Amino acid sequence: MKPYTAHARAAALSALAYRGNFLLSLGGAAVQLIALLAVWKVLLADGQVGGFDWPHMRAYLVVAFASATLVGTFVDFRMSHRIRSGLVALDLVKPVDYQRARFAETAGGVWIEAVAVIVVVAITVAIGGALDTPPGPMLGLFAASIVLIVPLKFAVSYLSTLACFWTENFVGVLWARQALTGLLSGALVPLAFFPGWLATTAQWSPFAGLTSTPALIFIGQASGTHAVLLVATQLGWVLVMWYGARLLFRRGLRRLTVNGG
Amino acid sequence: MALVEARQLTKVFRRPDKDPGMRGAVKHLFVRRFVDKTAVDHVDLSIDAGEAVAYVGPNGAGKSTTVKLLSGILQPTSGEVRIDGLSPQKDRIAVSHRIGVLFGQRTQLWWDLPVSESLAVLRDVYGIDHGTYRRRMARFEEVLELGEVLPVLGRKLSLGQRMRADLAAALLHAPPVVYLDEPTIGLDLAVKDRVRQFFRTVRDEGTTVMLTSHDLGDIEGFCRRLVIIDEGRIIFDGDLEAVKDAFARERILNVQTETVVPLEAARAALPGAAIEAGETPLHLGVRFDRFTMTAGHVVSALAPLANLVDFNVDEPSIEDVIRRVYSGELVLQP
Repeated sequence: MKPYTAHARAAALSALAYRGNFLLSLGGAAVQLIALLAVWKVLLADGQVGGFDWPHMRAYLVVAFASATLVGTFVDFRMSHRIRSGLVALDLVKPVDYQRARFAETAGGVWIEAVAVIVVVAITVAIGGALDTPPGPMLGLFAASIVLIVPLKFAVSYLSTLACFWTENFVGVLWARQALTGLLSGALVPLAFFPGWLATTAQWSPFAGLTSTPALIFIGQASGTHAVLLVATQLGWVLVMWYGARLLFRRGLRRLTVNGG
Repeated sequence: MALVEARQLTKVFRRPDKDPGMRGAVKHLFVRRFVDKTAVDHVDLSIDAGEAVAYVGPNGAGKSTTVKLLSGILQPTSGEVRIDGLSPQKDRIAVSHRIGVLFGQRTQLWWDLPVSESLAVLRDVYGIDHGTYRRRMARFEEVLELGEVLPVLGRKLSLGQRMRADLAAALLHAPPVVYLDEPTIGLDLAVKDRVRQFFRTVRDEGTTVMLTSHDLGDIEGFCRRLVIIDEGRIIFDGDLEAVKDAFARERILNVQTETVVPLEAARAALPGAAIEAGETPLHLGVRFDRFTMTAGHVVSALAPLANLVDFNVDEPSIEDVIRRVYSGELVLQP
């Protein structure tokens, strides 16, 4: 375990080195949150859309902001850089598991994002009033699903960075993935607004766990067995992608060419 | 059994074969053609514990690829590698404790953390206890003057500082086998000297070292064994001093004369030697075999043709020998 806590600690320390970048991108995300809040407040001024009234939508957007901020794009760039630059070569001569080490780094860097989320949520509450929280057991389930965002998002990012073994280019892969996750996770609009077939597909895809699941549990639209099932789906996808990534990594290594030096 | 063993080691890379320009690039999207390039071609190599081996060859000869195969970074197309009886590809974790790798062109230090933090991560990665860690750090301080580098952030290191820190990082776990791939590239003379001094202490402690370098100064006085690779094949594997003795037979006497000596006249006076024009018409180079001719002989043969103003003798270094091997002028028999 010690090799991995060491990676997590180093990543936690180096997160501070990027605070400037981080604060700027956080500012961008906060502006987006304010804009969405303003738009939906007007749209929901008198009544409901797709089963959401204003207090629900406000809570949904706040949770969506939190889940978008945790495990940011920086993780993608850091991991893809390792492969494209050939640094992965040096990781392979160390007594550590490559995937676990990358996960430890990701988890280590989360604290700064968590702090930022807490600050932004506190400001939102201070301005717009308290958010309704779900009853005790559902709050626990909500917390579990927020925590699961970290390994889930890591797995999605890690898998897409492995594409670098084949494409030797990452930005295109990242854009495609962001478009897909933005839509299917419910970060753009709640999945309930989609046509039935798309909503169902999205709900059971690995992406729903990134935004929709914690948000729906928080606002009480998913509760009881349904909520447990959604969280179990998150966990299931984490496991499937974790082990799938191992297979893919092994295949990728066969493609590895490290030129020069 | 040898500590490092490669049998029939082969690595073939597949590269896209594109016609030049936009047309070629577009065509490649539809008709994919690839060419195979054999970077390492049936290499047999066996290194005993405590040996210091120089692994040299021209650019693109397959040196770095061999090192990456021997350390388990690349998967061989065919053939196999054994380090202490283990396969670096299959027993990756076990082998990683036994090898240290330095790639001069890459760094394993954390970009935005002080060097001391990068080394602390490695301490935990290799499970080195604090007492041993302190002892090794003290030694690095002694030979590499690492202390001044420790508080510096990875991205702010000068090349010399970076290389010293990376050396410490590669050797922190005291591996019995060390691969040094271009370890002095881009360093100034003072740092180079210090780094070479450090290599000698590492070797004297019994570490097996395989050193890849274009700078043959890294090799002389350090490696006893010389392996030359060209186009993926080992073309020489033998004793470095023996090569020097065999091919350092040749001497060049550079002469400056008071009046111009025509090349033909000099050639007629010295039938056993090769005469070359020097930098000015007043300079001559006489290339001769020291076993059939002496410098005194050359001087006395030239003296009747003109007054000699100055002369000096060039001894070929191992560098010249290897340069001639690369160019195909010289074929070494192991």
